[in-house]
Amino acid sequence: MKTFWWRQIKAVVRLELKKTFFAKRGLWIYLVAALPVFLFMAYAMAVSREQGRMTEMAHEGGKELTYQDLLAVKPGMTNDEVVALLGKPDVHFYWTEHRHTSAQRIEDILHEKYNYSDGQHSLYVEFVNGKAETVMLGEGSNLIRDSIVFAGVFQFFFLRLGLFFGCLGIFMNLFRGEVLDRSLHFYFLAPIRREVLMLGKFLAGLIATCTIFVTSEVLQTTAFLWAYRPSVRNLYLYHNHGLEHAAAYVGITVLACIGYGAFFLIAGMFFRNPIAPTAVILIWEGINPFLPAVLKQFSVIYYLKSLSPVDVPTPPGMHPVLALLISNSNPVSAPVAVLGLLTVALIALCVSSLRVRRMEINYTTE
Amino acid sequence: MAVYRRSYKPYTGVLTATWWRWLVLFRYSRRNLFRSKVQTVLLTICFFYPLLCLAFIYLAHNVGFLAQIGVSGNLISIDNTFFFRFLSAQGVLAFLLTAFVGPGLISPDLANGALPLYFCRPFSRAEYLAGKSSVLAITLSQITWIPGLILFAVQAGFAGPRWAWNHLWVAGSLILGSLIWIAILSLLAMALSAWVKWRIVAGALLLAVMFFGAGFGQAINAVLRTQTGYFLNLAYLMTEVWSNLFGIDSEHGISVADAWIALLLYCGICLFLLMRKVRAYEVIR
Amino acid sequence: MSDRIVFEDVSKFYGEILGVNRVNLAIPPGITSLVGPNGSGKTTLMNLMTGLVRPSRGKIQVLGYRTDDPENLFKLVGYSTQFDSSPKGLTGYQFLYFYLQLSGCDSRTAEQAAWRAIERVNLVADAGRNIAGYSKGMRQRIRLAQALAHDPKVLVLDEPLNGLDPLARSEMIALFRAAAERGCYVIISSHILHEVDVISDQVILLSNGYVVAEGQIQNVRSEIQEHPTQILIRCTRPRDLAAKMIESELASEVVIHNDNRGLLLKTRSADNFYLALNRLIVNGVEIESITPADDDVLSVYEYLIGNEEVVR
Repeated sequence: MKTFWWRQIKAVVRLELKKTFFAKRGLWIYLVAALPVFLFMAYAMAVSREQGRMTEMAHEGGKELTYQDLLAVKPGMTNDEVVALLGKPDVHFYWTEHRHTSAQRIEDILHEKYNYSDGQHSLYVEFVNGKAETVMLGEGSNLIRDSIVFAGVFQFFFLRLGLFFGCLGIFMNLFRGEVLDRSLHFYFLAPIRREVLMLGKFLAGLIATCTIFVTSEVLQTTAFLWAYRPSVRNLYLYHNHGLEHAAAYVGITVLACIGYGAFFLIAGMFFRNPIAPTAVILIWEGINPFLPAVLKQFSVIYYLKSLSPVDVPTPPGMHPVLALLISNSNPVSAPVAVLGLLTVALIALCVSSLRVRRMEINYTTE
Repeated sequence: MAVYRRSYKPYTGVLTATWWRWLVLFRYSRRNLFRSKVQTVLLTICFFYPLLCLAFIYLAHNVGFLAQIGVSGNLISIDNTFFFRFLSAQGVLAFLLTAFVGPGLISPDLANGALPLYFCRPFSRAEYLAGKSSVLAITLSQITWIPGLILFAVQAGFAGPRWAWNHLWVAGSLILGSLIWIAILSLLAMALSAWVKWRIVAGALLLAVMFFGAGFGQAINAVLRTQTGYFLNLAYLMTEVWSNLFGIDSEHGISVADAWIALLLYCGICLFLLMRKVRAYEVIR
Repeated sequence: MSDRIVFEDVSKFYGEILGVNRVNLAIPPGITSLVGPNGSGKTTLMNLMTGLVRPSRGKIQVLGYRTDDPENLFKLVGYSTQFDSSPKGLTGYQFLYFYLQLSGCDSRTAEQAAWRAIERVNLVADAGRNIAGYSKGMRQRIRLAQALAHDPKVLVLDEPLNGLDPLARSEMIALFRAAAERGCYVIISSHILHEVDVISDQVILLSNGYVVAEGQIQNVRSEIQEHPTQILIRCTRPRDLAAKMIESELASEVVIHNDNRGLLLKTRSADNFYLALNRLIVNGVEIESITPADDDVLSVYEYLIGNEEVVR
């Protein structure tokens, strides 16, 4: 019997994958998954351009500078002092401003901008009439610092929006889409247990979402690291937990597909209009930090946040309510998080099986 | 011998005037709107905040009562910021209402092949779009600038003609700000529903455009250290324009002119999409 | 295992709308036609029989299997629905192949059975085309192929002849007859009464969700007492015969045929009339044929339901 069911599950998976991967209406899911990849490709291009520019500046400058040299420049210093300290600037702009100081007087003010680099950092100094008024030390691209930005994009864009809407599109389509297409009866007319059908469809959705979004995640990581020199990359990957983080992101993506997939599968069975459950799940995930400990556990994002390898710090000046949303007050351990999420998904699948047994074909009410 | 019996008799009664024909669509679509309990409840909820604002205005002019309950009279100030907040709150509700109502306007006609039936009558595409969008325009007006103007009138009644004259520009901003938001929401909802045909998917897509666009915009800003991501955030663009109209300081991630241009561009794209899809025929591939 | 399709006091309500009410049936093998006007409950009855909808009340068993057990039920049942859609992007062949794989067939068996079914409905030339591009008749045929593909014991066919050309119709009817002769249960719903008349072993007449009559058509007709039986006699000198018939008081009404070569009479006691027929024949009258004129589905339908929406 198990072989028979397994054969049926394979048939369902094959049919669903054909529909999901090659359907014109599913193209937007590829776009959703590809957008962050494009974003990090743009980042890689920007970083490599910036690095090239700074290296060029450092080479072309009269003196080989260190980071300490750049730090030594302070506001109030004269341009001669700065030149004495750092040498002739690599890039030098100047212009004269004709400023009305009183009713009949016009004063000429000389603005100068010096640009230095040690190859990794860039220093911008703005002089007004020969005195340094603005000193800005650009950090340049920094893999460790930008890995926090990567974590932020992963947590707040990729997980909460990209993967959320991607799973919505794929898993809602499994049953609700068939009802809207008036083709669900095709499955219900076959000698297949409804639970087996449900499991097959869920597995197909899971394979599709995992393939699309794990590929996206891997490509994002690749694009993110692409711009850095191999030595920096290796240092980050093998000595700064970079590889572990990358593996964790892939794992979290898979778990998110399982969790959101189970949620949207069940929502597609119970609700005719996905706007309402989508909004409810979005709000539920959003208010998760305010919920009592027991209720928190019935949320996907709670476990995913606990598993995230990098804590995203609260940006300064953020509204306290938003800050609260970002922080995970009492994260659970990784095994508990994984088991908890799988349990929540399993409960959702059990409820779906009960529901699918009672499903009727009544397209006219849609 | 063949017998040709003419049994068809064309309609000879009075026709609705050409100018008002689009209102026929409005009448029927509006009736459908209130068949849904969820939409009726949502519309009712949309009036809570205006009522609350009305109570605030009343309290602001009853200093004695405020003193009795121990609240300072200066706590509630009815000015441009008050009306800006009113429009911001009602704008969110207008979006939610659009997500429920908007997609149901065109997609059923497309899904059921009803457009040829409309256009085989003396009824143009522009009239069709006007009729359908008027449902949203009138419904959203009921929750945005109309209650806003009522609040303005009540405040003017309490504060006197000088206040009204000095703040007349606020009323103008209220109307203009609301109309822009209504136009964007209506066009967006109709364009999406015309493209995806499924009413409920179009609704989900509207949510996605708003939230996903904002999220991706923020991601662009964070990763590329730029402000151009704001162009993808419709709500941000609208808030910039509103802030400017109401004379409120804002973050100024992008300039107000840029925000205006971006919003007009969105409207243009939506109109283009609508014109491509709303036709008397459909090519089946 | 029961050898009938059994409905026990089955009712189905869609909210406040009645689908079918208090249906009690035991459908034997052979071709059974469901006849009734639009909205009378034919499709609901078929959907109930195949578990696509669940009864609000009552119990249904198909050859001993419950309808909420699709795994066993659809090994026996093939259902050609009226739903004119299929999973997107499939060709006619893939539609059947995947259906058979869903049924648990291995790849090779599914392939062979799919082609066999395609051949049975004459779609070999178009099997590689996408179903979305099929004509109405081709879609009907591919649905029939799906119902037939796994050689089911019970065939449930909702308006199976819709959209088919006359040649295809007769081929399909032959197919149904062959299945019935093999001992299958063929349940057909149709509006086309003369075809129902030709192919049915028994009929179930439905009106407004109620079963108004069931059984072999002649038996049903004989139980309708309020309408006298009509008999058509083709003969020479019909006026002489008509006078004799009226005189005998066995005929309540006699109408001379327009071509003056026969008469149509109505009698309240058909059995007595046939017994007395030899006695009533007038010398010199040559009888060509004597046929009952209203023991067909159309007449029964008109007597019990009325003549709305009937395709004659």
